[in-house]
Amino acid sequence: MASFALRIVVLFLVVSVSVVAESADEVVRFNRDVRPILAKNCFACHGPDEGTREANLRLDLSEGATAVLDGRRAVVPGQPEKSELVARIESDDPDLRMPPPDSGHELSDAEKNLLRNWIAEGGEYNVHWAFTRPAKSDLPSVQQADWPKHVIDYFVLARLEAEKLAPSEQADRYRLIRRVSLDLTGLPPTPEEADAFIADSSRDAFEKVVDRLLASEAYGERWARMWLDLARYADTKGYEKDRHRDIWKYRDWVINALNQDMPFDQFTIEQLAGDLLPTATEEQILATAFHRNTMTNDEGGTDNEEFRIAAVKDRVDTTLQVWMGLTMGCAKCHSHKYDPISQQDYYSFYAFFNQTEDADRSDDYPVLPQPTPEQTSQMTSLESDIKALKEKQKSEPGEAVEKLLKDQENKLKDLRKAVTTTPIMKELGENKRRETRIHQRGNFLDPGERVEPAVLDIFGNSNDDRPSSRLGVAQWIMQPENPLTARVMVNRVWARLFGVGLVETEEDFGTQGMMPSHRELLDWLAVDFRENGWSMKKLIRNIVLSSTYQQSAAVTPETLAADPRNILLSRGPRFRLSAEMVRDQALAVSGLLTQKLGGSSVMPPQPEGVWKSTYNALQWQDSIGPNRYRRGLYTYWKRTSPYPAMTTFDAGSGEVCQIRRVRTNTPLQALVTLNDPAFVEAAGALAGRMMEADGELADRINRGLRLTLIRHPRPEETSTLVELYESLIAQYRNDRESASKLSKAAGLEGGDAAMIAVANVLLNLDETLTKP
Amino acid sequence: MQLPIPLVKSQAVTRRHFFGQAGLGFGAMALQSLLGRDGVAAVQGDRIPAKAKSIIYLHMAGSPSQLELFEDKPALTKFHGQECPKEYLEGKRFAFIKGTPKMLGPQFKYQKHGETGQTLSELLPGLASISDDVCVIRSLHTEQFNHSPAQLLLQTGNARLGYPSIGSWVNYGLGSENENLPGFVVLASGGKTPSAGKSLWGSGFLPTVYQGIQCRTDGGDPILYLSNPAGMSREARRKTLDAIRDLNSFEHQHIGDPETLTRIAQYELSYRMQMSVPEVMDISREPKHILELYGAQPGYVSESENAADPRVLYKGNDPTFANNCLLARRLVENGVRFVQLYDWGWDHHGSSPGESVDETLPIKCQQIDRAIAGLVKDLKQRGLLDETLIVWGGEFGRTPMMQNNVHKELKKGFIGRDHHPHAFTMWMAGGGIKPGSYGGTDDIGYYIDENPMSIRDLQATILHQIGIDPHRFSFAYEGLNQRLIGPTDEGRVVQEIIS
Repeated sequence: MASFALRIVVLFLVVSVSVVAESADEVVRFNRDVRPILAKNCFACHGPDEGTREANLRLDLSEGATAVLDGRRAVVPGQPEKSELVARIESDDPDLRMPPPDSGHELSDAEKNLLRNWIAEGGEYNVHWAFTRPAKSDLPSVQQADWPKHVIDYFVLARLEAEKLAPSEQADRYRLIRRVSLDLTGLPPTPEEADAFIADSSRDAFEKVVDRLLASEAYGERWARMWLDLARYADTKGYEKDRHRDIWKYRDWVINALNQDMPFDQFTIEQLAGDLLPTATEEQILATAFHRNTMTNDEGGTDNEEFRIAAVKDRVDTTLQVWMGLTMGCAKCHSHKYDPISQQDYYSFYAFFNQTEDADRSDDYPVLPQPTPEQTSQMTSLESDIKALKEKQKSEPGEAVEKLLKDQENKLKDLRKAVTTTPIMKELGENKRRETRIHQRGNFLDPGERVEPAVLDIFGNSNDDRPSSRLGVAQWIMQPENPLTARVMVNRVWARLFGVGLVETEEDFGTQGMMPSHRELLDWLAVDFRENGWSMKKLIRNIVLSSTYQQSAAVTPETLAADPRNILLSRGPRFRLSAEMVRDQALAVSGLLTQKLGGSSVMPPQPEGVWKSTYNALQWQDSIGPNRYRRGLYTYWKRTSPYPAMTTFDAGSGEVCQIRRVRTNTPLQALVTLNDPAFVEAAGALAGRMMEADGELADRINRGLRLTLIRHPRPEETSTLVELYESLIAQYRNDRESASKLSKAAGLEGGDAAMIAVANVLLNLDETLTKP
Repeated sequence: MQLPIPLVKSQAVTRRHFFGQAGLGFGAMALQSLLGRDGVAAVQGDRIPAKAKSIIYLHMAGSPSQLELFEDKPALTKFHGQECPKEYLEGKRFAFIKGTPKMLGPQFKYQKHGETGQTLSELLPGLASISDDVCVIRSLHTEQFNHSPAQLLLQTGNARLGYPSIGSWVNYGLGSENENLPGFVVLASGGKTPSAGKSLWGSGFLPTVYQGIQCRTDGGDPILYLSNPAGMSREARRKTLDAIRDLNSFEHQHIGDPETLTRIAQYELSYRMQMSVPEVMDISREPKHILELYGAQPGYVSESENAADPRVLYKGNDPTFANNCLLARRLVENGVRFVQLYDWGWDHHGSSPGESVDETLPIKCQQIDRAIAGLVKDLKQRGLLDETLIVWGGEFGRTPMMQNNVHKELKKGFIGRDHHPHAFTMWMAGGGIKPGSYGGTDDIGYYIDENPMSIRDLQATILHQIGIDPHRFSFAYEGLNQRLIGPTDEGRVVQEIIS
């Protein structure tokens, strides 16, 4: 329904504008063509950093490039032959040539021509694209007018048509429901859910599926994982001791916030400054644990101030990376070489974060205690017992009362210790405020000029009423003038769905980052995200209801050659599942998965001896019972020794903010899904389900294929696996000892070893491990 | 078309590059065309003529005392027991020293050895026997005085977590020479992993494929998950892999994704690894005289490997480190690019039992000394020493003063030294390093007074020897061309120690 209505609106909106395809345009464009060359080759010595600027020449600004230096100007607009820049880049004299031969940079002839042409065309400078406010542009006209279902599709199709490419047909419904289920909930559908979708002939059958998935609790679990990578969430404190930290309640806060579709501005403000909100609730204070995921160094003999400062810097860097796609690491030591952020800007921004009470203490103070209702009532009753006993002691002192009192007091003490406490942000009192100075060359022992707290004005700062605190920072990040926040977030969501962001460098929207593949689309989504009330569910819904998302992922050698990395979006996304999804899917299709939301972290089987850290009594104890089969995001995460089966699939350590995981494809991954006891147990359970199917051997094998792949099997698939089964069963009949060993390892004692091996195959298929 | 940035490049490289240069079918070819070269990340400009083909890095986690092993300081002996002068204490940050500690003279005797006249302590007779192959550097200094940050700075170029280790940089740049073995292998002994944990061999912002693979020697799988489940024979595994391959091929016929072909190849590789890894890890295949040369004992699992506090269990004849040295030779012989050994238990503060300079250090030296001499001799007799760079050392030095926070007076079994970042000793051998000595310290070994060598200099020199230009070799991440040696140009290839 909604998409039909939308289409009508869209059709009215379509105006006849010429399609501007990024590569079909002959005119040299500063942001697209010129700035990347200058940024890569020149800005290190002729950029924003005054500390390393050579010859007083600054090429990142028009004023600098056209300034007269020693009687010459680097750029003389319209006159390349008079421009020193052209003379230098084209010079054969190694003493004159730029970039200098020993710099490691070299311009290609094409790059030299581009710079020359740019100057010839006027040498115009534009503000970096991502630093200007996004706007919804008019929809481009397209030829294949029956293809678009959503605004998104117009931008994608226009670009494809400009490249003389056609979109792919829609994916078949089995693959489509498997794709969207994995994307929205991190779990596969059941064959029955797929059959119901296939049988539903209504127009909005797919929308109904999408809405069901968005409303499921699994949605929050899946998307929380994306956010927890950014939050550098882990169950330990890091560094040498790497001791346990109770912070899982923050993880659950994220899951709940996403499930409730908390608007992204509120989601942001509560995490960055929930403690500073007027009449802050317990949940809002809990949200600030976001920035208490920084590491604490409990190593003996460390300077606590050094590591407090390291944590504060981490908060600054993480905030700007997560919300604005800006990389600030370098501005700690010197002004940014590529983006307009000085060292002073950095420490002025840092000053907001330098006012919290936490100080690398081993107790992680300040913390928020959150007793369970049961604990609260126990504590209340103990407290009243103690009070009564104390009264009694006054009136009739004696050994018995004394002992009873001591016992009750100890019980209360133990109970208080058992209460979950989460590290949180707490502002220092007015009389304890810290002074912030620049750390010269990044060294906190070498303080420089004093700075006052200030946001980065270049990204807009029209409202002076904001409080001068983290709360003001959070509001500034979400202000409408901020050109980056919405773009960065929609790009991140897009990247999780398509495998690559519209801006591939999700972590860098600055001048060193990559240009967007579809800028108008990115900007449309960004503006719409803000206009729709910052609803992540609406954003995701919009994307998955597009024709673009629903395309088949199949390629031919020709279409592959035309768009090798699917940057033009000429087909559907197809890429390997994330570490957590690989695990969760195996548990789901085998029926082992424990579906329970939240709670303290669990320890699924891990090989012995993986944890062997210095001075740390923490032990890995394989969970038994339901906690053995929880979703991957509940796995206990120790920073110096993260769960190996998941790091092999590119999960990070949780030490620092991870903006994106680079996908790899390695033999070690094969060893995990073939041999890890967790996956062997899943194979056992899957084999058990297959054996329950009615009919012949082929029917049982087909049941397994459907459980894992959802679609109906092809005859050659069934016959290959039947043959495998028959060959193995012959072998296992002669070797009952091996058969019983495998059944035991797979947790299916007395089960069919050959079927377990077949199930092991099913869990290792490329199609199983990949979003279809 | 906009050129893909290195992340894309590196993703592509992984296909061809995980374990070597083996072609991996169409997927790899398609991606190779994207790279336009042979799938090695270090581009032409980054490569320089290599002196070494592989590196064995022996890290003594905790940091051995240079004053008991390499630094003969008669002046310090003279001041032994006197209060430390104020100028050495004021404005200094110490990990544990409080107030005014006493000076502590070297606890063991020194002698000169070999043609180079190398000064070495009586605790290292094995090293003395190969002293003419070794370059001892007595002028290392660092910025960090706590274990975890100092180890990170040394191994990843940054004292904070999240940066790629030197082994993963080399693995990323050059890859393995053997398609069936990882390019970067880690072996640990001493009962614990080093302070900074697995981050020391992590890949930071490089793809995880370049991280070190820890091979285990305590009786379990040498690589995690390498063994088939119980009851799954190699023959049965082959049959399942054939089925996986066939079904994946059907899928590829329908969908055409080159990634599917890569996966087929990786599954085949995992099957070959199941053979090749246990083979190379099996030191019982070595002849007796070689085992004796190192002091190795196949199959030995030390008590200290599973102890809560291994320090009190250390025995001088524990062969765990020796076994790892022999493994290191087998690995580089088979084309592994970077072998990183960690030996834990070198943090001799003198404050708790089993961590003293006077009693524990001699035991630790006994555990490593013969093995190290054996390693160098063995590589030499096989003609491999010239192409294998060996690096030995801790993450910082020890103070010329005794540590006084627990025991104020000298007490047998509790004599110790605090962390000292201002001067320490390392040595290198083979791989184009000129034997001899480099750098030196003042009379009491507090400050360097000749040829200082920073951590960045050390890193630059190691990369240089393996054939990578340390200043050019970088990876674009977070808007910077990230390098092992950091963003500034302070890192210098120390030509004086190169032959």
